[in-house]
Amino acid sequence: MAKIIACYKWVADETDLRVNQDLSVDVSKAKGKISEYDKNAIEAVVQFARDTGDTPVTLTFGSGKAKQSLKDALSRGPAQGFWVNSDTAEKIDGAATSKVLAAAIEKMGDYKLIVCAEGASDTFARQVGPGIAARLDIPCVTSAAGLEVQGNIITVTRKLDDCIEVVATELPAVVCVLPEFNRPPLPGLKAVLDAGKKPVQEFKLEDIGLTAAELTSKTEVADFKGYVMSRKNIIIAGDSMADKVRELAANLRKEGII
Amino acid sequence: MSGIYVYSDNLALSLALSTLGGQSGKEVCAITLEQTQASELAQYGADRVLVLNGNSSRPEDYAKALAQLLKEADAELFLVGSTARGRELAAKTAAYMDCGMVSDVSSLEFTEGKTITTRLMYGGSVVQTDIIASMAVVTVPAGKYEAVRSENKNCTITTLEVEADPRINIVSTSTIVKEGVDLSAADKVVCVGMGLDKEEDLKMAHDLAAVLGAAVACTRGIAEERHWLPVQTYIGISGANVKPSLYLSMGVSGQIQHVVGIRDSRVIVAVDINEKAPIFKAADYGIVGDMYEVIPLLVEVLKNI
Repeated sequence: MAKIIACYKWVADETDLRVNQDLSVDVSKAKGKISEYDKNAIEAVVQFARDTGDTPVTLTFGSGKAKQSLKDALSRGPAQGFWVNSDTAEKIDGAATSKVLAAAIEKMGDYKLIVCAEGASDTFARQVGPGIAARLDIPCVTSAAGLEVQGNIITVTRKLDDCIEVVATELPAVVCVLPEFNRPPLPGLKAVLDAGKKPVQEFKLEDIGLTAAELTSKTEVADFKGYVMSRKNIIIAGDSMADKVRELAANLRKEGII
Repeated sequence: MSGIYVYSDNLALSLALSTLGGQSGKEVCAITLEQTQASELAQYGADRVLVLNGNSSRPEDYAKALAQLLKEADAELFLVGSTARGRELAAKTAAYMDCGMVSDVSSLEFTEGKTITTRLMYGGSVVQTDIIASMAVVTVPAGKYEAVRSENKNCTITTLEVEADPRINIVSTSTIVKEGVDLSAADKVVCVGMGLDKEEDLKMAHDLAAVLGAAVACTRGIAEERHWLPVQTYIGISGANVKPSLYLSMGVSGQIQHVVGIRDSRVIVAVDINEKAPIFKAADYGIVGDMYEVIPLLVEVLKNI
């Protein structure tokens, strides 16, 4: 029974971000969550392993804060959780992230398929999945909308900008799934209760043969600030809805739109 | 050799990247897999065109070969068009080279030997500025930069035999039949959100679109969860980006992932029943009210103009 690995990221909930007057961004009060798109990756490994009899597991790289993600991840069906625990996760880039995840996957061993989402809901850089594949030097299939497995061969339907491409490749491989790949169900109460009993393996960087010094970002973040869109923000008032609608039409005419 | 290397599987984007690379004042080498594109690339600022010749029609399969080529050439920057294939190629090339990568930049400037980029994060609510001082891969979306013709008479075209990754086999390829309209070119857009109760109520949106001469778009939920409109018609960070003169939403709450796709609209109008909906903060004009009441009234008013 080989490992079918879903990688996920514990991210700050973007709806909790505070943008201050000076446009500085306060992430500290934001609640954490499993990146929305990664729920598709977790569901994909659960489904895959159900068909093949392999073992679905999860892998995350995060600081101590990511510990609380394990129960949530495992309530979605995987049998075991792996967590690379390092504070460096808070300040590194996609290059280092794929390096850490690839090293962890090699350490975990006996892997058949690695599933990532296309991107994380915080950075949405869409580089970690292909990065893992390149570092492990195994095939990579991105933009996956569907997948079938037959023995050691997967056939993946990719949705690209202007065409649907169906490709086949031999396992082990990395597949990056689109949100439409599946519909992750909400975990039931029993699944949530069982999740706490599932095994979790924690790695430190040295366990996977890396040091923090090797993981410095290759680009320098010079600024990180809130985006402001300046709009008129006029809420149209009026005695009746018909008045408001007429007022709106008058404004659209003034704007030269109608 | 050093210099800036550019590639896109989309020719128009590739031309724009050649022009952009030229702004650095450094030598620009445009890479293509198609011999037929070489002469055109030579007319948009490239100093050299490199035609890669290998055993695969998929650009993604050349990541390892490109990484080796860029390393040997001591490349300073690799600009890649942000298409689905381009993004995969870029990320694999960066990992094979173990260099930095900045994805989907909103802007890119060359200043004092460094490359400065901005990109959106957290669904568009944060702008991050990165400074790139050593070799990195940067992906650039279509529509950010224009291709400017500037013929370089000394541009050389070279063909290079390279090894493609043989491990992925194409089973079939079929063109996507685009349903709905091309939103990116629409001058007016009526956007339907999850506030719509029933699929048949889409008629209301179509009625409004008809009097305005607008295209009908929707939020991700309407397309991907309810399947009421084609996936190509949803607006947002993972969907279409629009820049019409008028964007009018009905029953759209205005989550940041959606709003990022409408930012370049000239005028934004929102109709929603919830006065606290974030869409009003992104709007020029808002009507707080039941769209089932507002939209038919608006259709009548517009008809009589």
